[in-house]
Amino acid sequence: MAFRDVNSRRHIGLQQLSSLASAGRTLLGPMKSCKFVVDESTNQSMLICSAVRLIESLDLSSAAGQLLNETIQAQNKEFKTGMSTLLFLVGAWSNAVLECLQQNVPVSAIVSVMSEGLNSCCEKVQCLQISVHDVNKELCSSSVRPNTSSSKTYEVACDGFLNPQIFLCLQKEVSPSKELVPRNSCSHQEADSNLNKGLVSPLADCKQKRLTHSRYFSALATSPSSSQLDDSQVCLSGQSAHPCECYGLGHLARALSHGNEPNMKLLKSIVAYQHERAECSGSNQFNIAEVVTCCLPGLPESYSCICPGFVTLVSPEQAAVIKHLGDKPLRILLTEGDLTEAYRHLGFTKPRNIRTVLERPDLQEGRPGDVWLNTSLDILTRSQVSLVLVKGHVCENLLERCVANKILVVGSVPQKVLSAFGEASGAQPVTYLTQLSASCVGSGAQLELWTASDGRAMDLGELVPVRIRVRGLTLLTAVLTTAVPAKMQLVEDRFWTLVYRLHHALRDGKVFLGGGAVELLCLSHSQALAKQTLKLANKKPVKEFHGPWLAASSAEYKPVVLQALASGWSQYLAAVMCNTAKATSLFEAQTLIEHHLKKAADCGSPSAYVLKEFQTGGMFQGGPVPSTGSAEGCRVYDNVTAKTEAWRRALDLVLLVLQTDAEIISGPQTNQLLNSPASSEFMFL
Amino acid sequence: MSRLEAKKPSLFISDPLTKDAVSQSLSLLNRILKSCYGPAGRLKQLHNGVGGYVCITSQSSAILGRLSVSHPVLKVLTASVQNHVARFSDCGLFTAILCCSLIENFKSLPVPSCTVIKISKDLLSLCTDYLKSEACGCRVSVDFSNLKTLLCLVRSVLTSKPACMLNATEVDHLTMLIVKAFMFTIPCHVETKAVLGKCVTVPVKGRRVLDSTVLPGLLIETPEIQFAKLLSVKRISSDAIKIALFCVSMSGDLFNPEEGMITVHHGISLEMSELNQLLNVGKQLVNDEVGLVVCQKVIHPSLKQYLKENQVMVVDRAGLSVMEPLSQMTGSKPIASIHSFSPSCYGSLKDVCTKSFGSKHFVHLIPNDTVVCSLVLCNRNETTWDELKTCSLSTSSFKDADYSQTQYQLIADAFCSSLESVACSLSHDDEILTDTVYGHCWLVPSGFPSVSNWSDLLSKCGCGINSNTQNLNWRLLRPHFGSPTPQSCPEEPSVKAADLLTLDCFAAKYSGLQVAVETANLILDLKCIIEDQN
Repeated sequence: MAFRDVNSRRHIGLQQLSSLASAGRTLLGPMKSCKFVVDESTNQSMLICSAVRLIESLDLSSAAGQLLNETIQAQNKEFKTGMSTLLFLVGAWSNAVLECLQQNVPVSAIVSVMSEGLNSCCEKVQCLQISVHDVNKELCSSSVRPNTSSSKTYEVACDGFLNPQIFLCLQKEVSPSKELVPRNSCSHQEADSNLNKGLVSPLADCKQKRLTHSRYFSALATSPSSSQLDDSQVCLSGQSAHPCECYGLGHLARALSHGNEPNMKLLKSIVAYQHERAECSGSNQFNIAEVVTCCLPGLPESYSCICPGFVTLVSPEQAAVIKHLGDKPLRILLTEGDLTEAYRHLGFTKPRNIRTVLERPDLQEGRPGDVWLNTSLDILTRSQVSLVLVKGHVCENLLERCVANKILVVGSVPQKVLSAFGEASGAQPVTYLTQLSASCVGSGAQLELWTASDGRAMDLGELVPVRIRVRGLTLLTAVLTTAVPAKMQLVEDRFWTLVYRLHHALRDGKVFLGGGAVELLCLSHSQALAKQTLKLANKKPVKEFHGPWLAASSAEYKPVVLQALASGWSQYLAAVMCNTAKATSLFEAQTLIEHHLKKAADCGSPSAYVLKEFQTGGMFQGGPVPSTGSAEGCRVYDNVTAKTEAWRRALDLVLLVLQTDAEIISGPQTNQLLNSPASSEFMFL
Repeated sequence: MSRLEAKKPSLFISDPLTKDAVSQSLSLLNRILKSCYGPAGRLKQLHNGVGGYVCITSQSSAILGRLSVSHPVLKVLTASVQNHVARFSDCGLFTAILCCSLIENFKSLPVPSCTVIKISKDLLSLCTDYLKSEACGCRVSVDFSNLKTLLCLVRSVLTSKPACMLNATEVDHLTMLIVKAFMFTIPCHVETKAVLGKCVTVPVKGRRVLDSTVLPGLLIETPEIQFAKLLSVKRISSDAIKIALFCVSMSGDLFNPEEGMITVHHGISLEMSELNQLLNVGKQLVNDEVGLVVCQKVIHPSLKQYLKENQVMVVDRAGLSVMEPLSQMTGSKPIASIHSFSPSCYGSLKDVCTKSFGSKHFVHLIPNDTVVCSLVLCNRNETTWDELKTCSLSTSSFKDADYSQTQYQLIADAFCSSLESVACSLSHDDEILTDTVYGHCWLVPSGFPSVSNWSDLLSKCGCGINSNTQNLNWRLLRPHFGSPTPQSCPEEPSVKAADLLTLDCFAAKYSGLQVAVETANLILDLKCIIEDQN
């Protein structure tokens, strides 16, 4: 039982956080620099470029490190995005708080002012949210028109658009625009009107011009059928209002991809497949639960693609079975748990004290396991099952016997694959083969070897990719390839990040203006708050959340603490600018930020300034310019909840560690601590 | 073969309190606990030093539960505080700090311990009498028809736990939920003896606090695979589903596996016969038109399959915590045997549906009478969730204790130096002042020179009852260690804070005071320790 004080002025926990977080600086923003992680014991190396993988490979024996790990894992589990932001802000705010401590700011003041400040920032940036529907409308229309900013060129373009497809799209777009003013979640914000002007009015102006230029449109504009489209419909069914081939999501996917071009194409392809199916069944337009990945290291990255069905790797012997089975429809069985003799369902304890006596030795019986093997195989052949998908492991012997009997058994199948196959084939998952009845077996499964886009079948040394399908199966497999095996994990991580970004954007129903716009507004807002409180400092104290307990002290320290909060955003912006090569040095980045901050302050309304900058594509132009796309394609958006939650989690962690004044170490290590060089720091109970 | 070893002689330690090691440990413990006290209390990181889970907390229950104290004196102290917390779920730190301070202060007196004990008993009764009397200036009775005081009380508890990392909106939201949950548990038809219902906490980690909610009825988590396949339930009428509740494992494993050796003939499978017995139970359930089977433990997959084929909904691995509220809510008796049970054990339920929170899926059981509710508690990560859970437990349980008294009161306390030192540890950055009119507590930022004109700096007292209207004659509150004068206490009670903004539970603090004094007396009375070293 040991006890150690955490020196309050040079808080050990905060220093640990800051040094751990500094490792993740280069992972911020669209241009990440990857890191090599080398395992010294095995000499294996892996490329990483996400905060989760970084944290996984760092030494986290300290208590603060453990808390950081826990926080990042929680963000990863919930959002799959925003972890690098979280890690960076933890570092930046730890440093800022340490500086506050140096200036003798009391802990309670730091805690209350910082958390209030962040809340205020989160409210402020609500005016930079745009509904997904509006983003789609704007992006899709801008993709039809080559240039939004000049209406002159647009007129020209309009004339050239007289082909039936474009005509259709304009017909659908025109009438809603008369009534539909895109609404933000916070209509009272000053920036709202700016937003409408900035984002939509050019569009509306253009359309009016369109009306005068074309004899078709004046009649159509009053058509009652199209004017009945309302906000939610457009948003949910999306597609009807969107003419281009992106099905309402492709452009959004691009804007969220932050320059992640190859994965963006995969995502577009998923959207296209799911759209096609949604048209038949009327179901949800983007369902993340119906996507799985299959990694094929060794192929060039251009071979990555989306395949309907389940693609997985099997042994060459099993691949031979597939060739034998051909493409006739097969009966399919799904099992939960392992397919081994010893396996019992969860919660079953095997009795140890049972002795079996054999009265007459039967020499004909073979090895003890054979009985189970024979009955299992017998059950499978009797019910004419040719394909078994198993959630857990499969007994090697059974696997061999099944191959000999032309049955394909695939182990380690994810739960969502089992569910999808159950739904499509009518199979009911069983735990034991003895449970098998006619109603449990599904039908109509088809097997084939997976072939790459150029038609060549793959044989990746020991394993062969196969594709399993059933009529009506909603499952899509993202086949991810890379020629560098060390990059495999990275490719898969980046794919899921993008998929989840689109998922969260749709779930939130809104996105943030990206490329640092939100952070710049936070920075300017927290600086403004600091100035404001400096003026009010000697007037009456504001009533605060913690009541009079804490109000007494915090007012005086407010400007210092708010500056500390602001420095987090400022460092964030500078780091992103350096990573994306918009600035060559931190100093240049800081100067650029100062320049923008000053202009924003001069403009009177910082949010309006940020919006204008975003519109003109100045400072917030995202990522690397793709070689094929136009400048338009670079508009960048961010997730709302994932981002604000990452901020909140980062600040919570820093404040939590800040408020700890001691470590209490329990357990059997007391003697080790007593003998360790640091033993003088500890006190023992 | 067992090895025999000679017994070691017991260790005899006389006058344990005079030993340096004890007083050092005691003052260290006191220091740790004092720094945790109050809404701005400092947090402690508790871990085992080799990585893994780190607990960040300022709550006595969490700290004392994880501390491994070695000395018998400290063991007595922590045990009695933990016992108090187990009963009242509140005021643990108050009790512990007061107890430590009393021991420290009394120990240094040049008075024999029996005299100290006698006097301190008298003082205790003086204090308790004062607190119970109408004259007590720090009591607020709780009117149960008016939610305001109740809300204040819950809010005080929530805001006193900084490790929860809640902001103002989140505190408001949770306060409402907890009070709502408490309201759900009050039965609509009060009979002779009102029994409060149960509130079951459902953990959802990783979500925002604002996603928390209260639902009438019970939520039981189910794996996704079952969630997808919940069939329509067999009903006996439009608003009644027959439910059978099992508290015995139905996984098909054998009874008491540890005792003796069982010999079976080759070819006979005990597992199969056990499964057959289970399937017989299944048949009986189907015949009795049961629509829902809930099992505390695991149900064999074959039995599940059979029941599902017969349109009976199955929920297994429900866990011990839901058993009592479930039986209370449905009127069913938990069945403890798979060999014989009577249909009178079945209960009934109004409806069943499914709910999802984040990545978790639940079966929602809706009763006819809502005395049971589920509090779905979300917080961003594990550490903060654990802290939140413990403190919401304390809020819900301490209300229980007070309901029986039908009076909710507030305290102020009176034990000079020890009490003052408790009050002093309330703040960690600021200076504490006390006024000589009401005896309430006031805070000023530290760093100011000893100003005579305090009224310029102060606007409201710590609890919020009194505002700075007249000159209240403030003085600095400082712990006077070393010069305690217990005899003078009753004459000038230095009454500490409380009121409409910051409330404490009367019953808990009252008991805390008694426990602290009695434990201190007990420890002071220790003459020797006999330790069995075997």
